[in-house]
Amino acid sequence: MSAAGAFSLLLLAGCGAGAADDGRIGAAVVVSSQAQKVYDEIQAQPPARQRAKAVQLAKEEGRLEVYTSLTDDVANAVDKAFHRQFPGIRISMFRGNSETILQRILQESQARKLGADAVESDFLEMSSLDGQKALAHYTGPGQARVAASSRFPDWTADRFNVFLPAWNTDLVKPADVPRSWEALADSRYKGRITLEPTDSDWYENVTHYWLTHGRSQAQVDRLWRRIVANSHVTKGHTTIMALLGAGQTPLDSMNYTYITEQARLKGAPVDYRLPDGTSPLPAFARPNGVGMLRGAQHPAAAWLFYDWMLHEGQKVLVSLHLTPSTKVPGDTSLAGVHLAPFDVKGLTDPSTDWDKKYDEQLRGVASAKGTG
Amino acid sequence: MTTTTRPPAPTLPSVPRPRPLARLRDRFNLQVLVVGGAMVVVGYLAVVPVGFLLHDTFIGSRSELSFRAFGRAYGAGSQAGTMMLNSLAFAFGSAAFALVVGATLAYLQVRTDIPFKGLLFAASLVPLIVPGILYAAAWIFLGDPSIGLVNTLVFKPVLGASPVNVYSLWGMIWVQGLHLAPVAFLLMTSAFRGMDPSLEESAAMSGASRRTVLRRVTLPLLRPALVSAALLMFVQSLESFEVPGLLGLQNGIYVFTSRIYFVLRAFPADYGSAGAYAVGLLVIAAAGVLLSSWLQRRGGHATVTGKAFRPQQIELGRARPWVGAGVVLYFAVTVVLPVGVLVYASLLRSYAQPSLKALRGMSLHNYGEVLRLPIAVTALKNSVLLGVGAATVVMFLAAVVSWAVVRTRIPGRRLLDLLAFTPIVIPGLVLGLALSFVYLRVPLPIYGTLGILLISYCTRYLPYGMRYASTAMTQMSKELEESATVFGASWWQTFRRILVPLASSGLVAGWIYILVVSFRELSSTILLYSPGTEVLSVLIWEQFENGQLTTLAAIGVLMVALLVVLVLVAHRLGARFGLQSDSSR
Repeated sequence: MSAAGAFSLLLLAGCGAGAADDGRIGAAVVVSSQAQKVYDEIQAQPPARQRAKAVQLAKEEGRLEVYTSLTDDVANAVDKAFHRQFPGIRISMFRGNSETILQRILQESQARKLGADAVESDFLEMSSLDGQKALAHYTGPGQARVAASSRFPDWTADRFNVFLPAWNTDLVKPADVPRSWEALADSRYKGRITLEPTDSDWYENVTHYWLTHGRSQAQVDRLWRRIVANSHVTKGHTTIMALLGAGQTPLDSMNYTYITEQARLKGAPVDYRLPDGTSPLPAFARPNGVGMLRGAQHPAAAWLFYDWMLHEGQKVLVSLHLTPSTKVPGDTSLAGVHLAPFDVKGLTDPSTDWDKKYDEQLRGVASAKGTG
Repeated sequence: MTTTTRPPAPTLPSVPRPRPLARLRDRFNLQVLVVGGAMVVVGYLAVVPVGFLLHDTFIGSRSELSFRAFGRAYGAGSQAGTMMLNSLAFAFGSAAFALVVGATLAYLQVRTDIPFKGLLFAASLVPLIVPGILYAAAWIFLGDPSIGLVNTLVFKPVLGASPVNVYSLWGMIWVQGLHLAPVAFLLMTSAFRGMDPSLEESAAMSGASRRTVLRRVTLPLLRPALVSAALLMFVQSLESFEVPGLLGLQNGIYVFTSRIYFVLRAFPADYGSAGAYAVGLLVIAAAGVLLSSWLQRRGGHATVTGKAFRPQQIELGRARPWVGAGVVLYFAVTVVLPVGVLVYASLLRSYAQPSLKALRGMSLHNYGEVLRLPIAVTALKNSVLLGVGAATVVMFLAAVVSWAVVRTRIPGRRLLDLLAFTPIVIPGLVLGLALSFVYLRVPLPIYGTLGILLISYCTRYLPYGMRYASTAMTQMSKELEESATVFGASWWQTFRRILVPLASSGLVAGWIYILVVSFRELSSTILLYSPGTEVLSVLIWEQFENGQLTTLAAIGVLMVALLVVLVLVAHRLGARFGLQSDSSR
């Protein structure tokens, strides 16, 4: 009887559709006309006066809730700096990994109990929120500070994760450092490479790069098979970095350069640049960014945070060795690195499941192919 | 319904009522209230996430029955066959290893005059306290073929080779088995304590050899506990993620949970496939439950009877020093090595192999860092509250429900048993999702509070509580309750004054277990916590995500210290409450 009671409660609570067909749980997005009115009111001002208007309205709101996947040292620094500049606005940051952030916003949206005003997260999650029309359009002065490639319909990149191999400098001499992505397939790296099982965005970008730089599909497939045969798999970029520093593995196929840099500064024998300070490989920079929610309860504060992240917030990111999306004095995170365009289109194409492809490639499923 | 209000019936009559009928009615009412209430809560805790899981696995986008999730999960390209074989081999191997180790140690602890009992108790708890992610990481630093300290410091100099490899299936079984052995130890200790050794003694007096006694008397008597423990550990290994995630992937050894991790981590997350894998786990676990209840029914044995008994300790005699040395070795392998590596790592800025340079750079920097973390105090407070709360709620529910399952003929009690067991196979992430889904929609102020975490922990650890409680209840002879009833005790009095104290050994063991594992719970917490309700495991995860492996090690060391203190306090309180302490004998 108790079981039946609980179950009916559940059915009452749940919507009809399940996830059996496509694996997705549907969500309706919360839209608040009140919030839109505030966004419009701020953005109707001339650009130079928008910030002042936002500060005035945000102070009346008094609070700001941000959901972010920034690591906690960065999130804490952002929290502190924002609070110092706007002591009248109580900022509160919920930290989670990017999937959790997306999950939470969708869940809360569906239940009409949205807690977040602004969101700061990774490329795929921001794209997904954008695709579901959860984000409000920002036209403020921050747009002008970033390059066109950092502007997305309803969110803006505030930082980049740069993909490059990392190695243990005690175990890999400068002459043995891979000079191209193809080099990872060399037999001299047999058993010496670590792959991360969720790096499908890297997998897609390298594949796309090869296919658009004169390699045939058959060549690309062969390269990937040989890279996988050279490698073993470890979960977590930061775990890999710790093991790389400890000498468990000599070479990491790809890590975020800021993780390598932070480890290096703590004294680990790791690097992603040659001793001359350059990297010979084309690097891919994944944009991560900031957005304000259409269902925000503190819209002016959300707008202010968005604008702030593209301005003062950039310095906070640089102080922790992240790669900012605007020009910030003292930023050396891209020194010696040459960037190849990040394949936004391929990654957001709904017809291709890159996570599944990469997973099959790693498991050596015979049909695995790196096609687009 | 009556319109007149009656004064509430006194629930605990201090003097025997004159009319037996009225007394019977009162007793019945309270019994129905407590047992019924507990059953409703257990049913609710279990059904909500299971219902959610089944809904998302079997219902398609247009609300029709669909099996496409299974096609995706087990179809072409999924290598599901190998994956299932790996899962079973891993789970079976770890459970068997843990059971043999745990049961042997429990026997030595309770029934022999083995030296270093305190050491054994510590050895049986510390691996339980260390979070899985940290325990697996510690074993990487110990058993990696190239940098593992066991290889580089012991085997390489002696044998010239590095035979230890934690990334193999055997390595996984070793680490998981050692991590689980404490569960077996706790379960089996309480079983041995509740067992009247006079049966063995009579067998021995009648001329049975030691082996015969073991085979014909001891093992059959222990069967309920052994079966319970085996089942629990088998299912827990099936469900665990850290070891397969950190060690298995290195050589491409995939199991159910690493597949679940992938489909949930993939973009967009495939909840249907995750559900299909979880249903696979559920089926295997249900088979385990049925098998175990069949084994239990083939002769349950009451071993706690009305007769007084005082177990005689077997004197090990000449074997004593050797067994003692074995205990020290076991302590060294399960506690000193992994915790030692953690302490070592916690003193470094970034992990490096032991060298003069590394030793010179040692400092307490990481500990200072932990104390400076802004959420450290909140997290500690919340963890203690939740751990104590969940352990108390679960053990109370489990005691009542297992009494109903074991002792009564209430219809549907076997279903209840199964229900109370199902949460064990629901991946934490799915549980977290289900709970947030439900409590976001229920008009109760639970979402975003510690309450939702408490519900989650109670759900997750109910199966464990049930195993501890039902093992204790199965062992108890009915005559004790009957004599209490004959002497006029109400049901509640009997339950409180007879059953609980006699089962206290098992209940306290369960309480300690749940307290400890609550501190580690992460997978559901991560979806359910909010600013202000962070717990220690969140703190650990933050450091892990952040790549601060050495700070993480410092948190691990502090956690071990804190929980050892908590467990010692619980043990002391338990002893006062009726838990027999072996060391005091």
